[in-house]
Amino acid sequence: MKVLINLIKDSIVYLTHGRKSYHIWMAFLTFLMLVGMYSYSLQIQHGLSVTGMTDRVSWGLYISNFTFLVGIAAAAVMLVLPAYVLKDFNFKQAVLIGEGLAVAALLMCLAFVIADMGGPARLWHLLPGIGVFNFPSSMLTWDIIVLNGYLFINISIPLYILIKRYQGKVPNPKIYIPGVMISVFWAVSIHLVTAFLYQGLQARPFWNNALLGPRFLASAFAAGPALIILVLAVIRKFTDFKIDDKTIRKIALVVTVAAQINLIMLISELFKEFYAPTHHSESAYYLFFGLHGKAKLVPWIWTAITMNVIATVILLFHKLRNNFTILYIACVLLFIGIWIEKGFGLIVPGFIPGPWGKIAEYFPTTPEIGVTIGIWAMGAFIFSMLARTGIAIELGKVKYKKG
Amino acid sequence: MSKEIKKWFSLNLGNKKQCACNDTKSNTTEDGFSQVFDISMNRRQAFKKITAGLLVGAGAVSTSCSVVSSGERKEKSQIEWEEYFKGNYKLMTDEEKQQTVDRLVRSYELRTGKKINISTKGAEKDVLFGYAFNISKCQGYMDCVNACVKENNQDRASEMQYIRIHEMNDGKGLNFGEADDTFYHEVPAAGHFYMGTQCFHCDNPPCIEVCPVQATWKEKDGIVVIDYDWCIGCRYCMAACPYDGRRFNWSTPQIPEQEVNKEQHYLGNRLRKKGVMEKCTFCVQRSREGKNPACVEACPTGSRIFGNLLDPTSEIRWVLANKKVFRLKEDLGTEPKFWYFMD
Amino acid sequence: MNVNYNIPVIFLILVLISCKGDHKKYHTVIDKIEAKTVPFQRDSTFSKNQFSISELITVTDANPHFYIKERKSNIKSFACSECHDRPVSQLQSHNPNTKKAHWDIKLNHADANTMSCLSCHIDNDMDNMHSITGTKIDFNKSYQICAQCHSKQAEDWKGGAHGKNISGWKTARVSKLCVECHNPHNPSFKTRWPARYNATMVDERTNQVKK
Repeated sequence: MKVLINLIKDSIVYLTHGRKSYHIWMAFLTFLMLVGMYSYSLQIQHGLSVTGMTDRVSWGLYISNFTFLVGIAAAAVMLVLPAYVLKDFNFKQAVLIGEGLAVAALLMCLAFVIADMGGPARLWHLLPGIGVFNFPSSMLTWDIIVLNGYLFINISIPLYILIKRYQGKVPNPKIYIPGVMISVFWAVSIHLVTAFLYQGLQARPFWNNALLGPRFLASAFAAGPALIILVLAVIRKFTDFKIDDKTIRKIALVVTVAAQINLIMLISELFKEFYAPTHHSESAYYLFFGLHGKAKLVPWIWTAITMNVIATVILLFHKLRNNFTILYIACVLLFIGIWIEKGFGLIVPGFIPGPWGKIAEYFPTTPEIGVTIGIWAMGAFIFSMLARTGIAIELGKVKYKKG
Repeated sequence: MSKEIKKWFSLNLGNKKQCACNDTKSNTTEDGFSQVFDISMNRRQAFKKITAGLLVGAGAVSTSCSVVSSGERKEKSQIEWEEYFKGNYKLMTDEEKQQTVDRLVRSYELRTGKKINISTKGAEKDVLFGYAFNISKCQGYMDCVNACVKENNQDRASEMQYIRIHEMNDGKGLNFGEADDTFYHEVPAAGHFYMGTQCFHCDNPPCIEVCPVQATWKEKDGIVVIDYDWCIGCRYCMAACPYDGRRFNWSTPQIPEQEVNKEQHYLGNRLRKKGVMEKCTFCVQRSREGKNPACVEACPTGSRIFGNLLDPTSEIRWVLANKKVFRLKEDLGTEPKFWYFMD
Repeated sequence: MNVNYNIPVIFLILVLISCKGDHKKYHTVIDKIEAKTVPFQRDSTFSKNQFSISELITVTDANPHFYIKERKSNIKSFACSECHDRPVSQLQSHNPNTKKAHWDIKLNHADANTMSCLSCHIDNDMDNMHSITGTKIDFNKSYQICAQCHSKQAEDWKGGAHGKNISGWKTARVSKLCVECHNPHNPSFKTRWPARYNATMVDERTNQVKK
């Protein structure tokens, strides 16, 4: 316990000291968080009417980001599996970062869900015991369980490793490897459960399709590791933490495979929707071509698909992939592409056309975007802190001083 | 404060300045409470809630210590406090139901000086409500919608309506995509027929399955209801409803005091707050008293038929037995208790 | 590596026990209705309702019986015999400049081959009506006149599919009479403006205008 308190104290000291660029970065994130808080206060004051959502499109940017980030959280930890199964030591460097990323992504998920609530003050109604928890009937309760469980696992494992390292000891693999294994399976479950959240709605044919879960996984495996590559690149540049080229190459391979599977599934979906279009293909029509002259999402989805395709093609060629500058560009493209495709491009068309064929378009408003930016900044802020502490401990910069 | 009382229902969009002493009912207050309970809290939220908590704390102190503060005000915050921590209506004992009703009635009286009547009447034995709609008779007059809005205290500002009347084109079948549900011209228009939709009170409702807190459920008499005070506003039920039957309060509902229907039911037309779901309840405050829902009563064409499905002599049973009835999206397995038929 | 197996197994068990079973007792709602149907006695008294049994007339040729409102007391200037004390031909003035007594009634019901005033009214007994075959029909039972041609609608009305229930679902049925909604001289519903706008969705409204 004393160790933990010391660890927190030391890391706070360490976190408040750093290079100028670090301070500027954190100040910038704080500013964005303040913007988010202001926007959220507007929303609290006036209700969700400050967002672009309506009775017809009742989920928007928040839930889109939530969905996407669940994938990031899941994928970040999935990197652990190859590290142990392939007995590939290099991966372990990525694992710590990955788990930190997962924690940040999960906290962002929860923040997005809370931001989307009409009555955040009444969230205690969910707590088993004093509230009513509609388990197992509601997929949302499953999601709450798996997300919070996952958050718990991903906080406790790195914490255990870091505390041991902090004390200068070697973490006992018999303790943390089972935890790591659990978290790997848990990662699949958080993503599948989130997919089931949508997949289980017979009211929304766009989501009610068996491919949704697998596609969630594939796209998450592309976007998550892509983000990790970018993060590792930044860490490599700004810290002393050694990350082998080999590690990044291995992760790039994961990204490549996942991006290809994702594209195959996309083609399969498009084939089904457009070769033999039924009444239920209208949402896809709306998304890709627009319906009755309403086409707000069309430029977005084509941008996303172009980005996906370009990135996948780049990744396919070893030569291009091994050039890190090009790899980073591909990762950025892939990340943004999947963010659009699996956020906006998935959630909004589910509501369009509405149950009675009506097309009410949705576009986020300024406060909504403000809150979203704020939450992303919060995620980056948390991750920066976690990663910096973690790296410092790994490098032995922060150490437990007895007495 | 008196200005507050009068305007409790208004949106106040222009008024950005929130007085810090004005603790009793702003939303920040509620946020403050929740910090005690909210387990999955992150930094940003926590910060916000601590701030809000401080506001509440300061407010509470000033309320309790202030010599000026009247007994009424204290009572009001007492009511709000108890209301905040009350449980799910479905699980309440009769006594608890009575207590919350008393609080709600008293709270309304404190705010407006008017009395309301909130019923907690439960489902009757051997009753299952059903509804039939004659699409060859409906003329699109919209009297039902008017009556519904008035009866059920729906938000006037956003023009919330439970019923949608679709103007369909003759010769195109039930083509909702090409139907117009925003028409405003003389009706019935040539070459069109009209079809009303609302909550169908499915026997196998997808909306109640998905609710994470069981704030919505099916009563014994088949009415799908919502506990407005238990709803957390996640809108999952809205996404799950294939019939566009549910509505959300995107902002605080506004109803001029003199237009408020004061004969209310806890699960029916009592006043809602911002950020909760609501929907048609077959006018539970009327139907449980033996009356027809407001839409049935208001319809000048007799297109709407309401009754007890378990009563073999009821009109609705006659319709089911003798007319060619159909329901919408039957393939989804939701089993709506809302049938359509033609002459 | 035991953990590897445990987790999916636990997950599987959770999935299995979470199958929703309770409300699948009946396959469809119709099954449920049939299974649970009970002889339900509708209240025959109209408690604090708008009706007293004395102003109601029982429609006995329907099963179950239901009520309609007494009509004669609601007809303006009934009984007709107060003016119509002799056959119409004797009352009629052939001077085109005289204002007609029933100037506001213009028959717009079927065509002239089918309907005239005397299809329903009796020339020398204005207090009653008659069927096609000359049977006398009381004004209180005017639905019998309509039912001659509109037999299908009459069937629906007796069953409850046509004509409005005005007493509520729980008490005995009081239905609107044909002529309470359809003016017998001009029976079709008229076009008029809707009572209000339909659902306002700003976005859609603007698009509608553009069209």
